[in-house]
Amino acid sequence: MFPNLALPDLPFTFPLGGIDIAFYAVAIVMLVTAVFTVVAKNILQSAVFLIFSFVATAILYMLLHAEFIALAQVMTYVGGVVILVVFTILLTTHLGEDAFATKIPRIFAAFALSIGFVFVMVKCILPTPELASGIVNAPANYSSLQNFAVRLLGYDQNGFIIPFEAVSVLLLMTLICAITVARRSKDEVEKEKEVK
Amino acid sequence: MFVPSVTNPIGDFVRDMVPRITEFLPASFQSDTLNSVVAFLVNALICIIAVCAVNIGSAPILIYMERKVCAHVQCRLGPMRLGWHGTLQTIADVIKMLFKEVYAPSGADKLMFYLAPLIVLIAPFIVCALIPFSRSLVVADVSMGIPLIIAVNGFGVLGILLGGWSSNNKYSLLGALRSGAQMISYEISFAMILLFVVMISGSTNLMSITLGQEGTIFDWWIFKIPVLGFIAFILFFISSTAEMNRAPFDIAEAEQELTGGYHTEYNGTPFAMFYLAEYIALITNSALATTCFLGGFLPPCIGIEFVDNYLNMVPGVIWFFAKVYFMIWCYMMVRWTFVRPRVDQLMDFEWKFLLPVNLVLLTAGAIYMVIV
Repeated sequence: MFPNLALPDLPFTFPLGGIDIAFYAVAIVMLVTAVFTVVAKNILQSAVFLIFSFVATAILYMLLHAEFIALAQVMTYVGGVVILVVFTILLTTHLGEDAFATKIPRIFAAFALSIGFVFVMVKCILPTPELASGIVNAPANYSSLQNFAVRLLGYDQNGFIIPFEAVSVLLLMTLICAITVARRSKDEVEKEKEVK
Repeated sequence: MFVPSVTNPIGDFVRDMVPRITEFLPASFQSDTLNSVVAFLVNALICIIAVCAVNIGSAPILIYMERKVCAHVQCRLGPMRLGWHGTLQTIADVIKMLFKEVYAPSGADKLMFYLAPLIVLIAPFIVCALIPFSRSLVVADVSMGIPLIIAVNGFGVLGILLGGWSSNNKYSLLGALRSGAQMISYEISFAMILLFVVMISGSTNLMSITLGQEGTIFDWWIFKIPVLGFIAFILFFISSTAEMNRAPFDIAEAEQELTGGYHTEYNGTPFAMFYLAEYIALITNSALATTCFLGGFLPPCIGIEFVDNYLNMVPGVIWFFAKVYFMIWCYMMVRWTFVRPRVDQLMDFEWKFLLPVNLVLLTAGAIYMVIV
């Protein structure tokens, strides 16, 4: 999980390549937890398995040297799912029971969708066999935090300053909306004072 | 790819020793590939043992210290019977705890019930691996130390929520929900203070944050930026106290109201794990405060060459642990001195006071960085 624990040096040392071993181990964990997420009968249990699946995805990103994306994945999804857990506790009754059984048409649709997805993936990947043998090779410091920030805030051709500002305006809007929804109007405050 | 900036004498020693030992084995076992694999595994094992030793070894010391500090604040003596001044008392308690029967209450979600203590332990162990204990003594010297700390802190909340919910107990659930709301809110100001440190030091790597404070005691971030550094340190102290669920912000487990909060139904080893996580969090947060504000493993030089030479002779690990234990003592004194606020007061304090102050602090820090 930690990139400098000599994992990158391992391809030259392990017979199969350290990255390969790590990849298959993480992939197995990811698939098993993903299956459990769907199979679990309890919302909370499936939420917890979902978190582990996301964490495994984050480790995959780390193996690809995309450390910031890995950390963002953990940050947003662990935090986000925790909020989800809070709200499932707050809002659902009969939580411990086998609450959600899906109807057959939906299952059929899900199967059709996933088979279609696998078909498209295979169709896209099969013509490019060099993907399997290619070496993951990004320029040094390509995804370091410094480069990331410079590109995010740059206003030359490679920069992303306008999308960044647009997203921050969106976030500000959400914040203001949340405050407007949560705050009490003046009438309510006066009513409370009268009651007291 | 991030290149580690630290020299690694222990790792080099292992890599040097493994070929010398394998010389005595039959010839079929001798190859450079096998040697480097073995050296890698031995190094990884040493890292794991080091983290476990620091964490699990200091927990009994902290529990003893907490009892003594608490006792002296309340004009008592604390544990005195077993061993010299009760030093063996915590060890006896730990052994008692480990030998207790482990059982879950009826109607509990067994899987989640036993998973929760494990999840709680994730964050403190990962944070401990990131902290530089000395110039060449750090398990994982990653370039994005601070984002990683902020990211894994979420696991603590998750474990507490799961533990509270799966216990099938009203008190546990209430405690878990309170602590979930509290930790999610205070995480924001915790992250903001760390961002402030990142901004003034210009790096997210904990080692370079520490080395950026090299020089005299006035080069530590707490003093280097006039007033702002000290305010940031106090805010970090407050938000990390709340983040750890320690008194005065321990509404999650308030004994008088909730009979212990989220770990009411836990006993034996799972309870010990919750307890351990709490105390490891105390160490890691103190270590974080030390690294970010108090110069980490650097000695407190005062600019007089004669004194500084003597201070520099003491190894960095000793300075580090001296500062960490000073911070822990501060946390303990705060715990046994102040009274517990109500839930709504706690939330008001975070959202209406701490968060705006943090934003102002960040802005002021940015202005300071631009001007100076």
